[in-house]
Amino acid sequence: MTCEELIAHLSSYIDHEMDADLVAEVQEHIAHCRNCRVVLDTTQRLIVLVHDEGRRIIPAGQRDALFDRLQQAFLSRPPASEADTTV
Amino acid sequence: MPGPTIDLTIYDDEAALLAGLRRREPDACTCLIKRFAPLVYAQAIRLLGDADEAEGALQQTFIKACDKLDTYEGRSGLGSWLYRIATNEALMLLRQRLPRTTIDDVADAIQADEIPQHLTPWTLDPATAALNSELRANLEQALATLPETLRIVFVLRDIQGLSTEETAAALGLGESAVKVRLHRARLRLRELLSAYMREH
Repeated sequence: MTCEELIAHLSSYIDHEMDADLVAEVQEHIAHCRNCRVVLDTTQRLIVLVHDEGRRIIPAGQRDALFDRLQQAFLSRPPASEADTTV
Repeated sequence: MPGPTIDLTIYDDEAALLAGLRRREPDACTCLIKRFAPLVYAQAIRLLGDADEAEGALQQTFIKACDKLDTYEGRSGLGSWLYRIATNEALMLLRQRLPRTTIDDVADAIQADEIPQHLTPWTLDPATAALNSELRANLEQALATLPETLRIVFVLRDIQGLSTEETAAALGLGESAVKVRLHRARLRLRELLSAYMREH
């Protein structure tokens, strides 16, 4: 497997969507190729990093103004139908 | 005008909050917004890449959620439910925008500028390191520079954690297109962030 082929298959390898024989080829390649090892490792770190980013919240400075506008939009929405207001 | 100040502990669990919402208590709506708006807004802006559109999606999400409360069965948490509504709202806006974005650089093959150039290891261990604001800003900035068609796939797959199949269905794409776009997005982001990581 060449470096170009490895880069082309990198996500399939990371996502476990690769045939076993290709997995073996990838592992053999990265065992000997420092550059591809770095690309694989940093891509995996990126994925972990952004997964955590999914729990990000809005910076406090923006939050209050946004909440105010949301609250206003919410309170000024059309009244619910009779059916919706029953408890 | 400052927003209303309420005691968020009135509804100290989701069942109490849901009961308050169903009784249409104004404080319950405020509590719902304060608790979940940050999550919903962050998802909307990542998908849409535009603060005004994200705010519109945020408003629609909460209005629709409160109008659909009677059909909410509580199987997923309120946060997950709102997250799904927000994603659908954002995707709907994106579909309306399609004429603007049909001609972009989404050839479904790796582009020359996506071949890795930065080959320095990252010292940061994302599994244990807390995201500092500078890194977070770099990440958001890098994400914002991705072409929309790559960014959306990346957000749904790697941030929201949808499967390839779910992402393909949500976007009306084939699974192979989702895989290639995700791969291209990862390569681009890795490249963009590597420049920052090398210096930290």
